[in-house]
Amino acid sequence: MTRTTLLAATLTAATALTPVFAQSVLRLDEVAVGELDPAKASDYADSILMFNVYDTLVLPKQGEPGHEGHLAESWEVDGATYTFTLRDGIAFQSGNPLTAQDVVYSLERMQAVGQGLSHLFGGVAAEAVDEKTVRFTLEEPYAPFVASLVRLPIVDKALVEQNATEQDPWGEAFLSGNAAGTGAYRVTAHNPQAETRMARNEDYFGEIKDAAPDEAVLRYSLEAATVRTLLAQGEHDISSQWLPPEVMRALANDGAQLFTESGTGAFYIKLNTAKPPLDHVNCRQALAHAFDYGTALQMVAITEDVSSGSAPTGAIPVGMFGANPAEEALARDMDKAREYLADCPTPPEDWDLEISWIAEVPLEERFALLMQANFAELGISSKIETLPWALFTERVASPENTPHISQIFVNAVTGDPDTLLYGMYHSSTPGTWQSPEYLDDAEVDAALEAGRRGPGEQEREEAYSALNDRLMELAPTIYGYDRQSVFAASDRVSAPALSDPSQAFGVDGMGFSFRLMEMTD
Amino acid sequence: MSSVFRILLRRLGISVIVLIGVSMLIFAIARVIPGDPARIALGPNATAEQVAAIRTEMHLDEPIVAQYGHFVTDVLRGDLGTSLYTNRPVTQDIVEFLPATLELVIFAGLLMVALGLPLGILAARHRARWPDHVVRVLTLLTVSAPSFVWAVILMLVFAFYLPLFPVAGRIDDSYEIARVTGFLTVDTLIAGRFDAFLDVLHHLVLPAVALALSGIGQAARLTRANMVETYDKPYIEMAQAYGFAPGRIARRYAFKPSLIPSLTIIGLDFAAMLGNAFLVEAVFAWPGLSRYGVAVILRKDLNAIMGTVLVIALTFLIINIIVDLLIAFLNPRIRHSTRAAT
Repeated sequence: MTRTTLLAATLTAATALTPVFAQSVLRLDEVAVGELDPAKASDYADSILMFNVYDTLVLPKQGEPGHEGHLAESWEVDGATYTFTLRDGIAFQSGNPLTAQDVVYSLERMQAVGQGLSHLFGGVAAEAVDEKTVRFTLEEPYAPFVASLVRLPIVDKALVEQNATEQDPWGEAFLSGNAAGTGAYRVTAHNPQAETRMARNEDYFGEIKDAAPDEAVLRYSLEAATVRTLLAQGEHDISSQWLPPEVMRALANDGAQLFTESGTGAFYIKLNTAKPPLDHVNCRQALAHAFDYGTALQMVAITEDVSSGSAPTGAIPVGMFGANPAEEALARDMDKAREYLADCPTPPEDWDLEISWIAEVPLEERFALLMQANFAELGISSKIETLPWALFTERVASPENTPHISQIFVNAVTGDPDTLLYGMYHSSTPGTWQSPEYLDDAEVDAALEAGRRGPGEQEREEAYSALNDRLMELAPTIYGYDRQSVFAASDRVSAPALSDPSQAFGVDGMGFSFRLMEMTD
Repeated sequence: MSSVFRILLRRLGISVIVLIGVSMLIFAIARVIPGDPARIALGPNATAEQVAAIRTEMHLDEPIVAQYGHFVTDVLRGDLGTSLYTNRPVTQDIVEFLPATLELVIFAGLLMVALGLPLGILAARHRARWPDHVVRVLTLLTVSAPSFVWAVILMLVFAFYLPLFPVAGRIDDSYEIARVTGFLTVDTLIAGRFDAFLDVLHHLVLPAVALALSGIGQAARLTRANMVETYDKPYIEMAQAYGFAPGRIARRYAFKPSLIPSLTIIGLDFAAMLGNAFLVEAVFAWPGLSRYGVAVILRKDLNAIMGTVLVIALTFLIINIIVDLLIAFLNPRIRHSTRAAT
């Protein structure tokens, strides 16, 4: 036997004896597309990608209000100036060290690209004081600034600049298909319509659970029947939140566990306050009291214990600043509805309400039918109108074209009520998909500005509480239910941030931090 | 110049005119779909200035004729623009998604021919007897339900209750096959991975059958009807009188003339599957161009709509040309009439 043959035989034997470790793979799905560029991220799928591939200076505390340092070790606030000190020894997935320049670049890039959630950072300037210190200066005080930093992922400046061109100075083409973060997962393949594959970053600076998935596959736009079959075959682990309640129920009956993420948004039925007869508060109050809140909740219930919604108490979801206590749930009151209707200047027989629903959200058709039946009990006639999202956003640009009633799900993208309420109710932001009410009220504006200004939590709580009361008086909206996202999951995955309220982050998508999940086989 | 070549030249000329017409029509239609593409692309929170900037960049603030001029100039340079849906060049999206759809449609088309024609022949040969009745009932069933209904039924039966076939995707996650053509049946063979090739075929079965069922039924019914008509012709009676074997009569004298109308319909069905595949692609999570096309229409992604429709129109025209040439090859009267006309 020659030396080469002997070596080959030894190598073959060694290979055969090397233990093969099974890779744990987490498979989940969301609605396409998966936007990988963190400056453009806004949808749920984008958030899942962003929170796993990139990191932010701070993270929301799990199960309690407030924030804690993540890439930042500490920070100081001096009026409208925020100074952050970065942790030592953090490196990007490329191997480049994280510096204050990367933070400045990430902010400037987000502002320049001008998409996704860049509106959160208007009027903010950043400078690198030294390698590890970055200072943000705000044009005017903005109390939820630290909260908004959970939407400022830090990108690897050197890597992006290396891949930027004269026509594409911010490397948008590069970051649409590649990652440049410090995150716990690296992108190994990305097809924005089909799937994104990620693998664990073994050099991650933070905690990754031992049993966290080695690989994660985020699939896009699977049909309900496909998800159900995949879960039954053990080829899928977590569904999206967009499955119809009946399918969720069937999956739960098949043995799937149900994960939830709550506290950041609600289902709002918006009344156009600029269009008669809803330009009069009593007419709006009549509708708000005639709406059947109990049936609405039954419509979104999945099992006896889990529902996509919880009882609303007012304009602000339970758990946020200024929310009413959970015990003060809104309920239907037909006597009051009739009283208000009697004081409405337009008699019910003269009403012809347009109740719209978004064509892409079939659940809203059921709510439209519910409202039609509820309001018919007051002698009010109405017609139901289906609007594709694109047409809806165009229609709401003028009060005359905006339907009397629109149905919208709105979330606080940072978990702070400012990002939920300011865009809906401040008089400076009418005519968007969030604000088809066209509300113009000085008291509401003042409360929103006070809530934004702060400075302390006490002041903010008072401001939002006053806002909540005022909105209940004005009734620009029927508060359908506080929204809770529900996901069906196989029993091989455990996700405390989606199953244990004391571990929840309170920011949409952050519960899907794969590093905190555990696979059981 | 041969008559088939003359037919080819004429069809190519007509195809260019059709493509220009389609591009103008779709260009105009895409711009009257409700919704501002810039607003949809930038998201609901974008400022008016950001929306205006994108509109300028996409020339949406110019008259429609000028916009079409920009489009034609870019297309002639091979640039279909950037998709606002995927944020990638449209050509890159098409190159990535088209092979998946073509592979699916080609397999469905093969099934259509391989099963539809023999079933039609079988029914015609045994007219008014039990094989004819069985084929007619079965084919009626297949044509009466659209592809996506079959997709869901096939998935429930053969993946959910009887887990015999995979549910989603084109290949098992455990295979890593280098992309050469984008056709996984070809790429797996190039890579020398026969096991992966079989896995790809395994993944193709349910979506291809779902997509083909309606076409199989139509091809069978049409072939049967044409052959039944042909069987009544005097020359068939003469062949029978000469004592030719029934199989020979069916293949040589009844099937060939009956094939021509069937071929036209099969060609049209084949091309139509490119557009109709989107629901089957959605059910089986098939990353194809049809699904992409529907997604970009819903998002009013103008560049991607134009790119997708043009590619589908082009493929449609190519298939039609192939069918025309095949018919000319099979039918001497067409060849001769072309020669006589010139």
